[in-house]
Amino acid sequence: MGSLRPERQPLRLPLAGASVAAGFPSPADDYIEVGLDLNELLIRHPSSTFFLRVSGDSMLDAGIQHGDLLVVDRSLEARPGLIVVAVLDGAFTLKRLVRHRGRLRLEAANSAYPPLELHQCGDVQIWGVAIHVIHPLGRHG
Amino acid sequence: MADAIALIDANNFYASCEQALDPALLGRPVVVLSNNDGCVVSRSSEARQLGIAMGKPYFQIASQLARHGVVVRSSNYALYGDMSQRLMSSLEPYVTELEVYSIDEAFARLPRPRHSDLNRWASALRSRVRHNLGLPIAIGLAPSKVLAKLANHVAKADSHHAGVFDLGATADPTPWLEQTPVEEVWGVGRQLSRWCRLRGIANARQLRDMASGELRAKAGVVGVRLQLELQGLSCLPLEEAPAAKRETCVSRSFSQPISTETELRQAVASYVVRAAEKLRRQGQRTGRITVFARTSPFAPGFYSQAASTVLPLASNDTAVLLQAALRLVPGLFRPHKRFAKAGVLLQELQPEQQLQHHLLAPLTLEHQARREALMQRIDGLNRRYGRGCVQWGACGLEPAWAMRRERLSRAATTRFSDLPTAWAR
Repeated sequence: MGSLRPERQPLRLPLAGASVAAGFPSPADDYIEVGLDLNELLIRHPSSTFFLRVSGDSMLDAGIQHGDLLVVDRSLEARPGLIVVAVLDGAFTLKRLVRHRGRLRLEAANSAYPPLELHQCGDVQIWGVAIHVIHPLGRHG
Repeated sequence: MADAIALIDANNFYASCEQALDPALLGRPVVVLSNNDGCVVSRSSEARQLGIAMGKPYFQIASQLARHGVVVRSSNYALYGDMSQRLMSSLEPYVTELEVYSIDEAFARLPRPRHSDLNRWASALRSRVRHNLGLPIAIGLAPSKVLAKLANHVAKADSHHAGVFDLGATADPTPWLEQTPVEEVWGVGRQLSRWCRLRGIANARQLRDMASGELRAKAGVVGVRLQLELQGLSCLPLEEAPAAKRETCVSRSFSQPISTETELRQAVASYVVRAAEKLRRQGQRTGRITVFARTSPFAPGFYSQAASTVLPLASNDTAVLLQAALRLVPGLFRPHKRFAKAGVLLQELQPEQQLQHHLLAPLTLEHQARREALMQRIDGLNRRYGRGCVQWGACGLEPAWAMRRERLSRAATTRFSDLPTAWAR
């Protein structure tokens, strides 16, 4: 049973090794390592990492689709080029932070959505930096 | 140079957690209500500035809150518990020792630099926590725990300190002790403060300087330590690992009085379920169960009763505990009584590994292992999909007496179904 708290109960997937019913132990058993933990791969700063659910299609060209799970690290500094979660009109909004002609702006990754010039939209706060997106591949399992 | 002690705590912790995970609440006045949506227990700084009082019953100020557009929330312990762990683990790397003192405060020990104060260190830590978690914190620094607590108070009360105050770096802490009423000194209870006041001891400076013999006669070694701490001598060590609990209790007031035995059974059952879950999380088993129930002490005909039983074999299996506890309920129940509160107390706790298997044990080892796996599975499902996902029949479905939490926010950090939305639009 995987836990939602990444740092507490990692989900362990066996990497190698086989159990033999009787007789000789598997020669691979000596090489078993601890196992792979997806949390370890996806989360560098557990205490400042949050999960958000994506709604909308404005980030399609960045590979982020409606319904995807977003991993957001609040401890990272928002630099141009990164995809960020901004607080806009009391809602979390997903955009790419871009430097354009010397000025910062928030761009969608979908030509149907116009960019937002930061100096024109008053109070915008960058809440965190999106570091991974988790996207299920169709119906399975 | 001696180490410094810091007292680090979050401002308006519950309200701040609500704001941290809900962007619609940023910059808006927010209050959080106690259990059963009773009283205001936390106010965001915006709500504080509006003059909303702490501890006021919600029904008394509901219209005032509505008029000011204050957002009202029920206590969301899943969120606060998770944010508390995040807070504590983000402090840890910056100190040598950390004692988690409550859900929103911790004592820390760190080396004091020879040539500078710790205000810069504290400001940096404060902005880091603000940035990484969205939580405002205050930091008081001093040579002892009692003084660190006092410094933290100064850091919060005086806005020009901006949430940070190093009392240990001041040439003479006397003025700050002088302005602290004796009741506000950490460790001074109501009895001791009344005793102090009768002797004309009104503030922390006077307590620090009074004859220690007199204080020892009144409060013993506790009083002496308190005085030494006020003098800047550290004698209360940090406690890093909390001692294993010797008992655990789950009790609640009902949102409305209970007068049938069925409802009382359901209430007791749901507290047993909760207590058993707590035991398993603490890696413990219980040897004795006590169940209690009472009517309201403010209503005529006050009635209170408790009953207790010893388990043949210490256990943390919900089914075993339920069976034992529910057998006690008929002894507590009285017809025509309106019960206001009930609870379950588990005592004689022992570590799981220590279980002595004796000859009369009702379960075989194999059977027991299967029961343990089942409990783990249930706890896992409830953690994952929300408490109450797997219910015990004895608890009843959506009972009328259950805790009222009508304005509960989502479990935004602990449940996949409750995650905040990132709009891509």
